[in-house]
Amino acid sequence: MSKVVEISPTTRHEGHSKLVLKVNDAGIIETGNWCSITPVRGVEKLAVGKTPEQVPKIASRVCGICPIAHTIAATEAMEASIKCEIPKDALMLRHILQLANRCHSIALHDILILPDFYIPGTETKINPFTPEEPVRSVAKRIQRLREISQTIGQISGGEAIHPSNTRVGGMYRNCSQQAKVKMYDLAKEGLTLAHQQAEFMIAVIRAYHKRDFVDVGGMKVALPKTLGFHDQGYLATHAFYGSSSLDECPSWNPDRFKEARPWDWYMGEMTVDLEEPRYPIGGTTKVGTKVNPQMEACTGIPMYDGQPVEVGPRARLVTYKSFDEKGTLGQNVAREMEYQDCFYEMIDCIDALNPNGKVVADFIPDGDGSLGWATNEAPRGCDAHMARVKDWKVQYFSMLVPTTWNFATCSKALEGAPWQLAEVIMRGYDPCVSCATHMIVLDEDNKLVAQKLIQ
Amino acid sequence: MLYPEIVIAGCGNPLFADDGFGPAVIEEMQNLSLPDNVMIVDAGLGGPHFIFTLLDPEVTRKLIIVDLADFGAEPGTITKLHVEDLPPGAYRDAHSWDLAEPLQRIKDQIEVTIIGCQPAKVTFPEFELGISEEVQNAIPKTIRVILETIGVDYGTTRQYLQEEERQRGTAESCGSTEIR
Repeated sequence: MSKVVEISPTTRHEGHSKLVLKVNDAGIIETGNWCSITPVRGVEKLAVGKTPEQVPKIASRVCGICPIAHTIAATEAMEASIKCEIPKDALMLRHILQLANRCHSIALHDILILPDFYIPGTETKINPFTPEEPVRSVAKRIQRLREISQTIGQISGGEAIHPSNTRVGGMYRNCSQQAKVKMYDLAKEGLTLAHQQAEFMIAVIRAYHKRDFVDVGGMKVALPKTLGFHDQGYLATHAFYGSSSLDECPSWNPDRFKEARPWDWYMGEMTVDLEEPRYPIGGTTKVGTKVNPQMEACTGIPMYDGQPVEVGPRARLVTYKSFDEKGTLGQNVAREMEYQDCFYEMIDCIDALNPNGKVVADFIPDGDGSLGWATNEAPRGCDAHMARVKDWKVQYFSMLVPTTWNFATCSKALEGAPWQLAEVIMRGYDPCVSCATHMIVLDEDNKLVAQKLIQ
Repeated sequence: MLYPEIVIAGCGNPLFADDGFGPAVIEEMQNLSLPDNVMIVDAGLGGPHFIFTLLDPEVTRKLIIVDLADFGAEPGTITKLHVEDLPPGAYRDAHSWDLAEPLQRIKDQIEVTIIGCQPAKVTFPEFELGISEEVQNAIPKTIRVILETIGVDYGTTRQYLQEEERQRGTAESCGSTEIR
């Protein structure tokens, strides 16, 4: 008799999502649904009628973690539609910006997954915030890597979070010679740290997957050797950057893409009948709660050649570097393997950047309404944007973000794993469930606050 | 170091109408000439993980957050809050590492001030561009309060700034702290 268990909200990733799992008597997942419960709607509608300059700025605000990937992909989709070729130095600046974002993201992801793992050779789980060695120096290294990447991103992109330097037709400004030297020095420092960090992480990840049992909230859970395996296929468009031309990159063809609706894909209404209060951070959902993934899921299911595919670091390594490890292990290892390559690539790009070169195209056409698309390999996978621009007005705009691809793929990958490890599989995808609004809501008994009102 | 002694971060999402208040204040402040030890950042949605977890307490002394706050006042009213006033879960790192809040971690070493504005409308989950008039009108006062908090006194009102802007005859910003 299968039972239903729900983990909501899932933790240690971006945004709000939940896992609804149908498990058998041994606690093994028969059907897994991972769905976004963050509603974000209307970017397609909002973009229509705006200028191609505005739309990348709008796209950048959809998420607080990946503004860089969205800005670059949206800008390049506009450029693809109006058929504008940008100068080489502008492209180099974008490459540097994008790689800086990736390097920051990997460091952040390391912090998020570390609490799942053990200090090798011990039974102690890693707490990234502990002041004790060896974890302390790892945490410091992660912080330094984040700082380095953020600084490089700030120099090349103009601003640290929502890059303001990119524009349709290139970049607003090139950087100075001093800024180039600074980026170079930082990248060299980052390269050494990335080597150390990747080696440490790969050792920790491999040690974890060699274990027979792991501990989840005091429960002893058997760790299957096939954790997170699926046979859905992979999609990647570039080893590092992205593409907006089928000649350059035949692997993403918009014609082969279809989108299914969530109600055709997810499970229907069910009642939770398995509850585990020991599960970390507040236990799982109470028995008797009604769940309905079909109606609650906020994302469509993108299909490529008729099925969901995996995007992300492993997809990139499988496509471009003959990587062959599967499952959550393969995914986490692939991400770390990318780390040093990112810095090597970044150093090459900084070398190639001419600070005196022009960064804006000589001629920026107004567009004739043809469909343009651009993909950008965001840290968590392929981010594809499509646009039509006519007479300097956007007629159509659509975003296909990485985690949307991975929602369905990960749901498949959950099958056959113990339900307690569902979040471990999910975190392997480094999910970024789109961000929401932010507002502080104070309770009504805020007399104290009211006194501090500024008149 | 990535962040200097004083950091002013505008939080919020311009896609949800008044939620764009923080970034709008920052945009306005980019026209000001500020001391070198002050950095203004359009944090957008990335504040908790790109700023609050990356501050170095040995360098940064003061953090000012500009955001919306629903405290039941007239739209456009602003208030000054401290970390202790915040309800649990405010500025929780969206990554929710261990459900700890980054501001709680840094508040003893860094002086954190939050300047909140009562919104007229937040359209979440539907996108809408543009800030309502009430909140728009709160921007000059907010900037005055920020300048007061960081101890910069130009004797400024927004009108004064605009006059000065006209005299300079250029909109080129001189307060940008970005490295170029």
